[in-house]
Amino acid sequence: MKKALVFFLLIAVAFSAFAGGGQEQAAPAPAATQQSQAPAKEINVLLWDDPYPRALMAMLPEFEAATNIKVNIEMLQPPQVLTKTAVSVTATSTDYDVVGIDEGNVPVFASLLEPFNAWPQGRVYPKTDLSSITEKMLNIGNWDGQVLGVPINGNLYVWMSRKDLIENADYNRQFRAQYGYDLKVPETLDELYEMGSFFHSNGIANGFGPFNGGPAGVLSEAVYFWNSYGTDFINVVDGTYKVVLDVDRAVEAMEMYKKLMTISPPGAETMAHVERQAAFAADPKGVFSMFIWPAQIAAYENPDTSMVSGNIAYSAPPAGPRGQGAVTGAWAISIPSASQNKDAAAEFIYWWSSQEVADRLVAQNTIPARTAALTNPALVATKPQLPALADSMAVAISRPRFAEIGQVQDVVKLRWIEGITGARSTREATELIIRETNEILQKAGY
Amino acid sequence: MKSSKRLVTNQLTGVLTKKTGGFGSPVPFLLPALLVVFVVLIFPILFAFFVSLFNWPLSGGGGDRTFVGIGNYVELAQDPGFWNSLWLQLGFIFVAIPIELILGLAAALLLNREFRGGRLIRSLILLPVFFLPVVSGMTWRFMLQPRYGALNNLLIAMGAPEITWLANPQTAYAAIIAQDIWRMWPFVFMLMYAGLAGIPEEMLEAAEIDGASYFAKLFKITIPMLYPTILTALLLRIIDALRIFSEVYVMTEGGPGMSTTLFSLYTHRIAFGHMKMGLSSAMAIFLLILSIVFALTLVRKNMSLDELENRGGNR
Repeated sequence: MKKALVFFLLIAVAFSAFAGGGQEQAAPAPAATQQSQAPAKEINVLLWDDPYPRALMAMLPEFEAATNIKVNIEMLQPPQVLTKTAVSVTATSTDYDVVGIDEGNVPVFASLLEPFNAWPQGRVYPKTDLSSITEKMLNIGNWDGQVLGVPINGNLYVWMSRKDLIENADYNRQFRAQYGYDLKVPETLDELYEMGSFFHSNGIANGFGPFNGGPAGVLSEAVYFWNSYGTDFINVVDGTYKVVLDVDRAVEAMEMYKKLMTISPPGAETMAHVERQAAFAADPKGVFSMFIWPAQIAAYENPDTSMVSGNIAYSAPPAGPRGQGAVTGAWAISIPSASQNKDAAAEFIYWWSSQEVADRLVAQNTIPARTAALTNPALVATKPQLPALADSMAVAISRPRFAEIGQVQDVVKLRWIEGITGARSTREATELIIRETNEILQKAGY
Repeated sequence: MKSSKRLVTNQLTGVLTKKTGGFGSPVPFLLPALLVVFVVLIFPILFAFFVSLFNWPLSGGGGDRTFVGIGNYVELAQDPGFWNSLWLQLGFIFVAIPIELILGLAAALLLNREFRGGRLIRSLILLPVFFLPVVSGMTWRFMLQPRYGALNNLLIAMGAPEITWLANPQTAYAAIIAQDIWRMWPFVFMLMYAGLAGIPEEMLEAAEIDGASYFAKLFKITIPMLYPTILTALLLRIIDALRIFSEVYVMTEGGPGMSTTLFSLYTHRIAFGHMKMGLSSAMAIFLLILSIVFALTLVRKNMSLDELENRGGNR
């Protein structure tokens, strides 16, 4: 007993020392000087980390000067934004006054967000006119008939193709002799496969760059292909969510993706953003054609880091036999209901979503959710991707959205990868997606 | 031996009793430390267990909880993803750690002598341990990239075909194990080297005089004397390996498919992908129990005080 007591005492002392040491290290720096200069209001903002919010950061001083509101922006990778929002925002308390919500997660946090119609009027900037936001992008911030966030970026599938390959006269002559038409930006998935196969089989470049990184990415690819072959995945039927995937059409879509995988770079089964960017922008034989999230265009057009800067043809995604769609992956900016600084938070969002800031952000290769900014002739003259973005927005489609989407994403990722890599037949993989998604929906009470 | 031990114990505890003119009950003195231990160590475990008894979807902002008793544990038992992650985790431990122990011990035996540059080599060997797990995972991810990765470039230069290491379930699993071995075997080496330094030279010299071969000395003296060190290394590595997360997360994110979704990755996915805090807490409690089982098996059966005392006595 005594031996145990001594042992326990030693452990306790060690913990006390550890805890004490931690407190010492974590002690905040003297804040008196900061406080004496503190502005009237201060808000905490949680955003995803990409060039769009980073470009905004440079403009913050002018907002702070105009409003006397200090903005503390924290930027994290998208999965970490979800994690942090989940633990930092509750119905009664919040660490953040403004949060960026990935469109798929709007239903997840809907009950914690202040409806847009309850946001206070701006003191310096006018309240955002929702009619100025591109109609199909506006849905991103909506849930259950309410606007819960202002869609802020126009992130959706835009297609990129290598102009240097398309415009090469030798390649074009050979391709024309084989397929009977000229090399061009692929308008259909069949054209993409033919041109991609030509480049791939001749050792010029890989034909296609898939996106198989994470569950959300795989669901995007699946939804794009299913839509192109004429089937939806999950719809609201009789007021509840139902799997409506047509097996035959979904199998056809998966078969096409499987074909495209054969002309993709090695390691295509796990290609995420990092590998895609390296293949397309840093490897002359990397990839001929693939989609991109516009938020990343800035990196691909940076001549310091990209070999294809100024050499990319942008377009809406190639169409399938029964449809054309551009999957959205945009963010809405919301105010948690528990925020104690709703007026300052709203002011910040009104400033950010204003037309003036939108135009300036476009000039830095970032894409707001406003058609007006994308069709501004002065900007279009120097930004070739803008018309393609406007075309993509015209055919925007969304992934299914409901609270259990994370579980569905896991199912789709697992089975889709099995199908496109040949680990299962495409039919078997499709049937498993339907069966396992139905199980999730039933368990959730839909 | 026992009487001297009792004397020390009395000296330690006796000062706290009235009988020896001390300060009375030790409880008031222990209370602050006990409180810290409770807040830092015990409370989070109790809270996790408490949460594991609820259906607590984080999507509701944490307010909407329903008591389900052992429902989450039953759900886990029926979840193929849970069993998949558990087998992957155990496979990871039973492959990686023995290799780390063998490498660590072999290197320690090899370098347990003075020679020119020995200190430098011993220091350099430790470098991987100081790598942040995230950096290590990212480095391996790029190194194994099929087109521009260093490993494939080397293999292709030697005439081998291009291998997509992280795109194939088997090679991806092997890769995360290899990454762990690379990063952590020097840690085992460090412990073994320190253990070897504690073995009396006279014993080895006596064995040598008696004509013992190198392997006889190794298996009859060195390894038995290193037994507590080996068990300590084993215990520390098992507990650490059970919690492995960040390096695998950045290397594969659990893919392709679910082939590298180890236990901690699946727990994270359940918590922040599926937003099921109750279920993920049940997984955390399961992991805790698993750790305790490993620890008790190693400590109680192999590292009991009596056995250590006997070893000390024999020494």
